[in-house]
Amino acid sequence: MDIQPYLLLSAITFVIGVVGVLARRNAIIVFMSIELMLNSVNLSLVAFSAFLGDVTGQMLVFFVMTVAAAEAAVGLAIIIALFRNKQTVNIDDINILKW
Amino acid sequence: MDLYIIVFYLFALITLASAAIVVISKNIVYSAFALLFTFFGVAGLYVLLMADFIAVTQLLIYVGGILVLLLFGVMLTTKVIRVDMRTATVRTFPAVVIVAALAGTLIGIFWSTDWPQSPASDGFERTIPQIGEMLLTSYLLPFEIASVVLLVALIGAAMIARRERKAL
Amino acid sequence: MIVIRLEDLLYSAPLLVLTSSGLLALIAEAAGRDKPVISYYTSLIGVITSLILTFLNLGAGVPVFNNMILQGGYAAYCNLIFLSSALLSIVLSRSYLERMQYHRGEFYVLIVFATAGMMLMAAALDLTIVFLGIELMSICLYVLAGFMRKKELANEAALKYFLLGAFATGFLLYGIALIYGTSGTTNLVVISRSFAQLSGNSLFLIGCGMLIVAFSFKIAAVPFHMWAPDVYEGAPTTVTAFMSTGAKAAAFATFVAVFVRVFDIPGTALSSVLALIAAASMIVGNVTAIAQNNVKRMLAYSSIAHTGYMLSGIAAGNAEGEQGILFYLVAYTFMNIGAFGIVSWVEQQEDRKLKFDDYAGFSARQPAVAVLMSVFMFSLAGIPPFAGFFGKYYVFLAAVKADMTWLAIIGVMTSLVSVYYYLRLVVLMYFCEGESDVAAKVPLAAISAVTLAAVLVILLGIYPSLLVDMTKGFFKI
Repeated sequence: MDIQPYLLLSAITFVIGVVGVLARRNAIIVFMSIELMLNSVNLSLVAFSAFLGDVTGQMLVFFVMTVAAAEAAVGLAIIIALFRNKQTVNIDDINILKW
Repeated sequence: MDLYIIVFYLFALITLASAAIVVISKNIVYSAFALLFTFFGVAGLYVLLMADFIAVTQLLIYVGGILVLLLFGVMLTTKVIRVDMRTATVRTFPAVVIVAALAGTLIGIFWSTDWPQSPASDGFERTIPQIGEMLLTSYLLPFEIASVVLLVALIGAAMIARRERKAL
Repeated sequence: MIVIRLEDLLYSAPLLVLTSSGLLALIAEAAGRDKPVISYYTSLIGVITSLILTFLNLGAGVPVFNNMILQGGYAAYCNLIFLSSALLSIVLSRSYLERMQYHRGEFYVLIVFATAGMMLMAAALDLTIVFLGIELMSICLYVLAGFMRKKELANEAALKYFLLGAFATGFLLYGIALIYGTSGTTNLVVISRSFAQLSGNSLFLIGCGMLIVAFSFKIAAVPFHMWAPDVYEGAPTTVTAFMSTGAKAAAFATFVAVFVRVFDIPGTALSSVLALIAAASMIVGNVTAIAQNNVKRMLAYSSIAHTGYMLSGIAAGNAEGEQGILFYLVAYTFMNIGAFGIVSWVEQQEDRKLKFDDYAGFSARQPAVAVLMSVFMFSLAGIPPFAGFFGKYYVFLAAVKADMTWLAIIGVMTSLVSVYYYLRLVVLMYFCEGESDVAAKVPLAAISAVTLAAVLVILLGIYPSLLVDMTKGFFKI
């Protein structure tokens, strides 16, 4: 099997994630969409790694996952702090936050 | 048809369908559960690509860690009865950007046809020993940085989200 | 296989010392509860030691840790910028945070680790390190932006910064993935060797484009600047000072390292894209800054404009441009951090005293501080003989030499526009009546930090060659 289907799948997932970030107004959904983007990148990296016969890509995926976990912790802490003060996670309800 | 190809399209379908649900669903809990299936689908694809270590970490970190965190976030910030029902509106400028990005990426992939055609299915080779060795030799510095990143995230998250200890 | 050599540790001593001081400050904070001063001094000592070690390391760049990072030379020069930015921010933060009642030891720990991330970004020889450095810096900054966690504006700033930052990370990684897929490596030196043949590969160019998008987010260039004004306004003022100088310089250092030092961009489509982004940043930043009434927001838009000036140096891509950016980064760091420092003295709790009008008649009560503020404003406006003038002179000269005269013309025109809003503040301070004063007694350390910044702005304006000569050998790899 060729690498193209993997890359196409990864590209489509990435674009779905981008659409989610730009179109959705709930901070947690936006964050989930970002996770989709990271997953699609990881898929590309693993596919390249497998087809190049080189393990470097998988190393990178390992670091991406670590950082994703760290970002998730900080991001949710920020979301919770905001919710405590404001009782909302909708980006539209946040007056100054105009994209 | 080859079994490998059938399994690939099965996982691809799971990934794409659930990814679409994450973004489209009006109910945030559905989105979170759809994300679970995306993570599983991607893990399946890793197995097909012979990336055993990454497939396992995907389940451990994404499903076991990030998704659970996300669900906590959902529970802590949504009133369970009245789940977020806001409708989405795409603005024209982002839409143009997305379409351009999509078209650009896809065309780029189709154009460049000279890929090394040596799929990993030539024979199973465990990647874990290789990854383990690299983490402690050539990738030692990134490995240490990753640990600092995690430490920083720990301090930062605790700092921002914890309850007030007392008047400062 | 040799894992670590002694040289690796010696050459990266500034980085290791800084990181250790961050860890020590963290332990000190955990051990001595409610005594953030201990963390303050620990991190201060760490930054100063690292600064001294960096000075000793200014010679030729040496790749260390299996070609993962470059230490010395270019990296050392950039480290000087980050460390000075961190030093001034730490000194200014103590009195500011005490006044705002948010003085906690974790603050300094996060500043120190963010600085370590910046040092890694500038030193990176591998895309893995670029990614990890950016993330280490960004995660610290997300938290620092929302440090005043009971303030809604700060929460919103942190959330916006976080979401857009993570979004940009997605693009960065996709770019890295495409570059890895087409070149088969993540090592920048290896990629640079085969750049000639790779630049014909469209997927490789898309990867580079994605990197440009990600970096443009980090340096706040138009059209990826929308987070900057809100985040700069919502974050604690001293953090804004740190973000707009250290973090921006780090993103620029990586940008230059990746796109000038390694990828040979002049003449390619990428350089015209960069020129367009630069022109848009100069125009949008300067025109929007005129309309601002909040000084922090004005400085945020002004920082977008300065991003544009510096980007024109990268777009030009010649030796003058490279040296110009490196000089500009230093000048910009000192003038901007000084300006934000003074803003932090005037500011009062709950975001009061941040308007232009709050500076009316400032010179009558604080003549010395008014003089310092005027120095920074004149320098930001690019009026000779201050350092800001030579920064602009070098990058615009580089643009002209690279046959981008239109870019230099836009730069000069928008600089003239910028004179209006910078001088508006000076006019208010000197020629208007008002009751304005600094919020509380400013400690000696903070005054000397800002004075030092002003002295450097003047000194570099008179002797720009002090720095420019230093940067000559940095772009041979």
